[in-house]
Order: sequence, then structure tokens, then C-alpha cells
Amino acid sequence: MFAQVLFSGFALGSIYGLVALGFAVVFKATQVFNFAQGALAVCGAYFAVTAISILGLPFPLAILAMLAASALLGVIIHMTLIQPLSGRSMLAIIMVTIALSIVIRAVIEIIYGPQGRVLSTPLPTGVFIVGDLRMPKLHLTAAATSWVCMAAFGAFFRFTRVGLLMRATADRHEAAMAAGVNVNLMNRLAWAIGSVLAGIGGLFLGQLQIVSTELETIGLLALPAVVIGGLQSIPGAIVGGLLVGMIEQFSSSYISPKSTDIAIYGFLLLILLFRPWGLLGDQETGRV
Amino acid sequence: MTEAPITAVPRRPMAKAWTASRAILAALGIAALIYLPFLLTERAVFGVPLSNGMLLNLGITQINLMLIFMLGALSLNFLTGCAGLISIGHGAFYAVGAMTGAVVGTQWGLPLPVVLVAAALVGALAGVIAGLPSLRVRGLYFVLSTLAAHHIIIFIFQEYQFEFFDVAGVPYTNPALGPMALDTPIRWYFFLLVLVIAVYWGLSNILKSREGRAMRAMHDHELAATAMGADVRILRLKAFALSSAIAAVAGALYAYYLTNATSESFGISFAIQFIAMIIIGGLGSLPGSLFGAAIWLLLPSLISGLAANVGDAPALVRVLLVDNRAQFVQALFGSLVIVLLIFAPGGLPDLSRKLGRLFARERGQ
Amino acid sequence: MSDTILDIRELSVGYGRKGLALDSVSFSIPRHAIVGLLGANGAGKTTLIRSITGLLKINGGHVVSGSVAFDGQPVLGLPAHKRVGLGLAQSPEGRMVFSRMTVEENLMVGAAMLPRSRQDEGLSSIYRFFPRLKERHRQIAGLLSGGEQQMLALGRALISRPKLLLVDELSLGLAPILVNEIYGELGRIARSLGTTMLVVEQNAHVALKYVDTIHVLDRGSIGYSGTAEEAAGSEAMKRAYLGEGQKEGAA
Repeated sequence: MFAQVLFSGFALGSIYGLVALGFAVVFKATQVFNFAQGALAVCGAYFAVTAISILGLPFPLAILAMLAASALLGVIIHMTLIQPLSGRSMLAIIMVTIALSIVIRAVIEIIYGPQGRVLSTPLPTGVFIVGDLRMPKLHLTAAATSWVCMAAFGAFFRFTRVGLLMRATADRHEAAMAAGVNVNLMNRLAWAIGSVLAGIGGLFLGQLQIVSTELETIGLLALPAVVIGGLQSIPGAIVGGLLVGMIEQFSSSYISPKSTDIAIYGFLLLILLFRPWGLLGDQETGRV
Repeated sequence: MTEAPITAVPRRPMAKAWTASRAILAALGIAALIYLPFLLTERAVFGVPLSNGMLLNLGITQINLMLIFMLGALSLNFLTGCAGLISIGHGAFYAVGAMTGAVVGTQWGLPLPVVLVAAALVGALAGVIAGLPSLRVRGLYFVLSTLAAHHIIIFIFQEYQFEFFDVAGVPYTNPALGPMALDTPIRWYFFLLVLVIAVYWGLSNILKSREGRAMRAMHDHELAATAMGADVRILRLKAFALSSAIAAVAGALYAYYLTNATSESFGISFAIQFIAMIIIGGLGSLPGSLFGAAIWLLLPSLISGLAANVGDAPALVRVLLVDNRAQFVQALFGSLVIVLLIFAPGGLPDLSRKLGRLFARERGQ
Repeated sequence: MSDTILDIRELSVGYGRKGLALDSVSFSIPRHAIVGLLGANGAGKTTLIRSITGLLKINGGHVVSGSVAFDGQPVLGLPAHKRVGLGLAQSPEGRMVFSRMTVEENLMVGAAMLPRSRQDEGLSSIYRFFPRLKERHRQIAGLLSGGEQQMLALGRALISRPKLLLVDELSLGLAPILVNEIYGELGRIARSLGTTMLVVEQNAHVALKYVDTIHVLDRGSIGYSGTAEEAAGSEAMKRAYLGEGQKEGAA
């Protein structure tokens, strides 16, 4: 049982890590603690449903359409909601993302109906069995894709010119402006990336379960994940996501399925009290 | 934080000159408040029946729930708008009150006044505990600690509920104030009305007191509060205790009024409602809290009233007002909050002032 | 191509609803000159620099009236990054390096607007001017000393070969020897690259040694203009501003 739980913790944790990475990119760039990250994951799942089931696009094209729609959504959110609030109080910014998630949920339920939808993709189903360990292929695909995405974005930030400028913007807004960086464009890009990563996460979560607005709660696990990992740390978001996946699966299997929330948020509270800068963050830059 | 330096009770220098007309207005207001529940239950004026539409589709239940939510909005606005402590887990203190009611009222069979006093005490205690992280962490981290506190409280409620009751939740029966049973909506109405007025009066007096001014100073600038001789840490915990006590009392009343509560009644979206109310009414404004709660609780009824009258309206209107009314209301409120945050941080009153000025300028040109 | 690189005409700037931080300021900077802008704390130097570079709005200020032309083109309507693109670079006050990135990455941000083929050349020229940056090119910028951070901020601004470089409060918090060393190097760079410089200084005695002409801001207006020699010899200038500069410099 231990290995089985470890496996599902790893697979789900990888998806949470992906969504959390998107969250951290947005937070680092624009200092927005995005309570709508879960809603963005839901949007990704519904974009996929629209492209595959409703428009009937071939799978690769459908994925491209879903990625483009997610990116566009991120950009629109930044332009219409986040930019006008720059320099305003934390409550205003937190609340606007919460209100956004309420609106997104309501609009999706109006358009698609409150009941869930099945997402049918040509992704491999079936199970690998190694000894006692059952590894659903879908979980493996989700984990592998998540890690490829995380590595790709890691490389993007590290090695490309735009990645460099985005890091500079996140490091120090005003200095980046002074150095000639188009800060607004970089922030918009950060929102696009954040939304795309949430969308991919939503696609897999919807595939593993069923596509409904309830996925938002799962997507929102990115919040404790980033704080546990360290708000200012990109690797921290991934590690935090993995940890949250593990905590969720282990508490559900060894304590009770109802205990997952308290295990995750209890751990979050301990981190907040004793190491608020997170596991991988450093104390100096971790202050918010 | 730079927003909302709004005073609780605006004093108008003109007030004295208007004493007579103000007295008449006040008398009319009180008369209206007393007459309202009878109007809403009899649904007639002097024997002349009124249609649902003429009563704006309102019933006494919505009014009573509104009063109960006003307590939560007042207490959260006191905490967030006045003392500057952001809590996104405020709804959890409603759960604390409901749980206290379950133990003291349902299990031990003690009368409602005892339940309410117990709820206030337990609520204050829970508030102090939930506020403890404020001694160590600030800003965003503190906000998150209130979220964690919310999940922990709801978990405790859930465990308690399944230990002693079942999925159906906790029943709350026979609320009474001494000899008077709270068995009709009208009795509830007057009890709640008195309570809301008392809490409002109490909070506005606290805000005018020395400690209240220090609290507001703490919101704007911690050093300023310290300079006033206040221990900011103690002040924060006091604000938390008071605010949570009020919310817990409201939670117990909420449970008794609905005669049932489950841990699911107090999820995160329940808590978020209160933040929405104080944003709609205006951060830091006690009258705004009442106004925000009123909009939040009454607007859905108005929309239902509209829905009953759409007849063969265009398909889109039907889809929004009839088939997806709950979602439509959610989308409407969410958008309202967004619009207010962007254009009118002082809430709806602020927005109407701004719009008024805009129209005045248009007309002037 | 005119001889004037920067032309400021009757510029008035305010913050919020408070009074004016700059009140009808006019002056111009000839090409290839090194011009000093002096004034006490709160005289409006930073506001003036922000108006020129486009960082006014994010700091809560707005232009009330007047114009700023760079290389013959009005720039007040342009966002900050477009102005840098025109060749108007700055080394901001407080140095403001990207503290979590390496020295070389910091410089590459400044070089990002150059075509890729010219980036390496830009980098090596900066390393030639400031050999110390080359020694530390893989270090995290936040861990550099104050003087090295100042060099890095200057290098980041110079790497794109700007036509005009604004240097804001270079001497702040640095040892006098270091200040002289860096100003000396800046003078050499200005001559070899033909860069025009506007040097903002609170410490008038330091500035007078390295600039050709000065303008003194006093409570939002230009209180004195002249060559460095005239200023050093002027009794009125000394009484009114240098005394204060000395105090500030010593503090």
C-alpha cells in the first residue's frame, strides 16, 4: 500500500506542482496572490471540452486551441483587472481574484450546465502493473507531461532573452523599467504563462476525474503548495505541489479521506508560524 | 494600505439646523421598522392585499437572515475595515457559534440566552487563537493563516457533527428568551433588530473610544498607534476577540433560525460572502456593513421576483433569470465586487457619489 | 542633427493634489557635455529625473505642463522602455541592481535591446571599463559591495551605448575614494564613447570637479545655472547652495 500511495501522491503532486508553478510565476511578476488559479484550471479543462467534444477538433489542434485560449484569458485578466489595481491594497487585489473566480464558476455553469462533463481524449488509458503496484497510464502521462512542462519553463526562464527580462522584472520592477524593459508586456506574459500552466493542470485533473467546476477546489491546492515551498521560489512551488500531493494521498489512505484538508492546511499553518518564507525560500526575500 | 479612511458616523455641521425634520424622519424610520414585519407577513396594507411584486418579492425570512448576516458584516468590517486585519475565514466563527449552540443548547438542553453567552465566550477564545499568528506574521501570511484557521475549524465541526449526529447535521430546537418563545418570524425579527442596533451602537462607541482610535491608527500606521500608547499586539487580539464573539453569536442564531446546521453550511464561499458585503457597503464604514448585507441578502429575492414576471421574454433573459438564477446572481455579485474594487473602493455609496458627480458635470456642459 | 540632446521647457510636475514638485523648469543639455544637476534633498532632482525617464507615473506623479524633447523628439508621452530605446539610459538612484541575478545577467538585461550580434561586443566593452565586474561576472548582484553595485548599474545603462546617460546620486553611501574613482572612469567613458551625461548630485563639491556646467534646483525651480568654474568662484552660489551641499556631504 505504501508504494501505491507514494505513486498517486507523486502523480497528483506533479499536477499540483504544475498549477503551483503557474501561480508562482504570476506572483513573482505582479505580486498578485491569485485566488482564481483554481478557476483558471477549470477554464483550461472546459476549453479542452469545447475544443474536443463540442467543436470536434483533432486532438493536437484541440490542445493548441486550449493553450491559446488559456493564454489569452490570462492576458485579458491582467489587462482588465490587475493593471487597474496596481498600487492598491492587498485586500483589494485578493478580493478581485476571489470575485473573478466566482464569476468564472457562474459563467461556466450557465454556459455548460452545472453537471460535469466527460473529457474524452486519445491519451493512453489502462494500467501498468509492477508487482503489487498499479500505475494507471493516465497518471503516468500526467506526471510526465507536468515534468516536461516544468523543465521547459525552467529552461525558458534560465536561457532565453525574454526569460531573462521576465526574471529582471520580477526581481525589481522599477529597475527593469529604468533598464528599458517593457515591464507591462512581461507582466502580461507572466499571466499568460500562469494561466496556461493552470489550464494544462486542469486538463489532466479533468481527465483523471470529470470536468466540472468542482475542479476549482483541487486547483486551489496550488495556494498552500506555493506557500509551503516558498512564495518567492520557483523550485519551491514544484516541491510544494509534490508535498501537497503526498500529504493529501497519505492522510487520505492512512487517516481518513475527510482528513486531507486539515492535514494540508494544518501543515500550512505550521509553515506559516515557524518558517513563513517556506521550505525553499530564503528568509530575506521571503517577506511579504 | 491606503484605502478607506472613512469615518463610522459622519457628523454634519448642518445637523442642528435640521433637528425638527430629523426627528420626524427618525420617528418615521422607527415606525417603518416596526411596521415592516407585519406588512411582510400579512402582505396587505389596511386590509388591501399587495402583490408579491409590490412587496419586491420580499418575505420576512429574508429580512431576518439579513439581520443575522448584518452582525457578521459589522464584525468583519470592524476587524478588516477599521482595525486593518484581513480575515478570509470569518465565516468559520459562525461555525464556532453553531457548534457551541449544538453542545450547550441541543446536547445540554440549556436555554438560548445561555447559548448566546457561551457562543460569545467560545467565539472570543477561538478568535484570540486564530489571531495568534498575527503576533508572528504579517500581511499576506496572516491572511493565509486565517484561511488555515478556517479549514481547521470546519474540520473540527465536521468531526464533531459525525461523532454525535449524522449527515443530516445538528438540529436546533425551541429557542426562547425566558418566557417568550421565538416561535414566529415576527418575534425573531424584533429580537434580531434590537441585537443589530445594540451591536452597531456598541461598535461605533468603541471606535470613538481611545482604543478604537488607536485601532484605526493601527490600520493606517503601526507606529502611530504605538505612539498613542497602545500595545499593538494586544489591540489586534482584542479586535479579533470582539469581532469573532459577535460572529459566533450570529452563527448560533443562524443555526437556531434555520433549525439545522452542518459543517458544509460554513464552507469557504460562506466566508467570502462577508468580504463581499463589506466591499459592497464600503470598507471601514459601519453603516456600509448594514447596507452591504442588505444588498447581498435582498437582491437575489428581487431577481427571483423579476424571474416570476418574465413571461415570454427573450430566450437569453429566460436562461439567465429562470434556468440559471443562482449562477446569474453569483455572476452579478462577482462582477459588482470587481467593478467596485476598480472604480469605487468606498463601495456602492462611493460609486453612486462618483456617478452623481459625473452626471452633474455632463449636465453642466 | 541639432547640438542640443535634451531640451526641457517650462516643465511643471505634481504629485496627487499637493503643490508642484517642479515649477516651470527649463534648461537644455548640449551634445557631448557633462552636466551636473545639484540641489538639496527634496529640491526636485529625483522628480526631474523621473519626468525625463518616464518613471514619474509609477511613483504617483504627473506632468502638469511643459515639454521634454530628447534628440528633437518629444518624449513625455512615451513609456519608459521606449525612451531607453531612443538612447536615453539611466543609472537609477540607490543603484537598483537585480539582486537575485548574476552580474552578467544584469548586464544582459541592459543589452537586451541590442541586436544579438552586438551583445558580446557590448559586454566586453563594459568589462574593459569596469574590470572588477568581469572578475565577478558570475556572482549574485545582491552580494556585491556598494561600489561594485554602482559600477554594475552604470554598466547596465551604458551597455546599449546610449546617447544620454542620466546618473542619479552616484555618491550616495559610497566612500569618497570610490566616488572619485567611479566619476573618473565615467569621464573617460564619456570621452571615448561620446556619451552625453546628466549627473545628479547632492554633494556639490564632488560634482563640481567632474562636470562642465551645472544647474541648481531649489524648491522646484532652477536657482542657478553656470559653468563649473563660475559656480566654484561665485560667492552667491557658495552662500546659497554650496554651504548646504557641504553640510549634506558631511552628514
